[in-house]
Amino acid sequence: MKAELKFNNKRIAEPIISTVVLKEQATINILKAHVDETGGKVFVEIPDDKAEHVIKAFKDLGVEVKLEILAEITEDCIHCGYCVTLCPVEAIIYDKESLSVKMIGEKCIQCGRCVDACPTKAIKIWR
Amino acid sequence: MKELIKTKGVKVAAKEVDVVTTGTFGAMCSSGAFLNFGHSDPPIKIERLTINGVEAYHGGAAVDCYIGATKMDPNRPFEYGGGHVIEDLVSGKEVEVEARGYGTDCYPRKYIKTEVTIHDLNQAILCNPRNCYQRYNAATNGRNEVIYTYMGKLLPNYGNASYAGAGCLNPLTNDPDYETIGVGTRIFLGGGIGYVIGEGTQHDPKNGFGTLMVKGDLKQMSPKLLKGASFTRYGTTLYVGVGIPIPILNEGLARKTGITDDEIEINLLDYGIPKMERPVLKKVKYSELKSGKIELNEKEIPAAPLSSLKKAREITYILKKWIEKGEFFLTAPVERLPKDTVFKPMKMTRGVPLARFIMEEAVTCKVYENIKDVAKKIVEKEVNHIIIVDEENRIVGLVTSFDITKAVAEGAKTLPEIMVKQVITTLPDESIYSCARKLEKHKISALPVIDANGKVLGMVTSERISALIGKGENIEG
Repeated sequence: MKAELKFNNKRIAEPIISTVVLKEQATINILKAHVDETGGKVFVEIPDDKAEHVIKAFKDLGVEVKLEILAEITEDCIHCGYCVTLCPVEAIIYDKESLSVKMIGEKCIQCGRCVDACPTKAIKIWR
Repeated sequence: MKELIKTKGVKVAAKEVDVVTTGTFGAMCSSGAFLNFGHSDPPIKIERLTINGVEAYHGGAAVDCYIGATKMDPNRPFEYGGGHVIEDLVSGKEVEVEARGYGTDCYPRKYIKTEVTIHDLNQAILCNPRNCYQRYNAATNGRNEVIYTYMGKLLPNYGNASYAGAGCLNPLTNDPDYETIGVGTRIFLGGGIGYVIGEGTQHDPKNGFGTLMVKGDLKQMSPKLLKGASFTRYGTTLYVGVGIPIPILNEGLARKTGITDDEIEINLLDYGIPKMERPVLKKVKYSELKSGKIELNEKEIPAAPLSSLKKAREITYILKKWIEKGEFFLTAPVERLPKDTVFKPMKMTRGVPLARFIMEEAVTCKVYENIKDVAKKIVEKEVNHIIIVDEENRIVGLVTSFDITKAVAEGAKTLPEIMVKQVITTLPDESIYSCARKLEKHKISALPVIDANGKVLGMVTSERISALIGKGENIEG
């Protein structure tokens, strides 16, 4: 399964991923990594059979784990909901109760139709 | 209010309710801010300036300017513009000001570059010539290609629909006769307090398209309710949060503020037509639009607003709280907004060059003609494009001299094997600007001109358009 690991600034310099790889004997595949002032984000693929242990190991080492995030909506979103009309797979829904837009990351097929349609450019796709 | 009227009737509602708060949060291109920087030492009389790379208008005194929401940074087109500068200022971020002048005896300086925040400015006044449309059209796209418009990214073949505005929460919709909203009305603007300073530009009350001109102190505002935005391949803009309290002075106002989404009808237009006169495909109610699906040609298409209903509702709540706490006082307008003006199109004293004026004779052939004969035609008529038509002279395809050359090289035998079937065409009354845009966009060099039934009338070529422009002659008139 795919997961997004978030490292805070204190942990960036530590060899956390290799520690987990050795500890859990799991072949973790790094798909994308990004480091900036706020810390580090790494997008990885974890073998399904070891996922539970691997995720726990990361959490024990102080890493935030988000699962199956292929796309996300940042806080720039103004909840107009226009992206909903562009999504071919219902990965974005508009909740009429809370008047809010929600992204179901695991449904996203990363077609990118919504990205340039967003007026505040609030949709980020992990590619 | 809407519930109260339903359950207890207008009379009781008018007695029980003192104020109805309205709100809207949408893209308002006609927005901008007056900024005053104060004087540098030695001083400069600014002639041209940019803020974060976005050009601001300077035609006033030495260190005043107006930054408009839609002006873009030429290095970041469709990404960063005046709206974003305003948001950055409101966020308290530093912006880079670069200014040039010609130097005078009293203002000798010719150049300055400096970084400022909103706190360093003497005044930062949001002043929007046109905001808060009473209602607006909904948009969809009948072309067979994606188009990028100020109504958003519209999918081909009526693939989706967009609309603007908060429907029954909209300020002017709740006071359609402008009884309480006028010059001097105190309003919620961008998270701070502002004022209506008159009717907005293009105010069109007779057609139910009223607009407002508003101002407010940018220093009080919040980036959550004043947000820079960009419409890809169209331009940048500013999302503006506006809230207006409507005092229920009489039963009439109680009834009017009880308006529901079911009672507000707008036109759905085809933005695929590149002219101002766009056909109305149907009338559509806000209740239908807000359901997320509308019906068109017996098909359901997804519809969504480009404005934020969530933020519009938040604004009505914030304003309500302010009023209840005594932090916001209602004002009576010192002057009413005009109710009898109309919005006219531009007066044009020269004719518009249309496709029909510059089209040349089209060279056509039938689908069963053989490739050698078509090649002969190309040579005889000295053209690069042959339109393939049926017995009724309706377009079925197109081949270029290159297609024919390729067919010879690769041994293709019949026209259907090599012709382009999805031909980009133009109508006779489309302007040559629209033709030029199509040629450029699709990287093609000719456009068959067809009538509404697909019959071929002629051909507009890029050579002809280039020749017109190349001659330097005025193509207008």
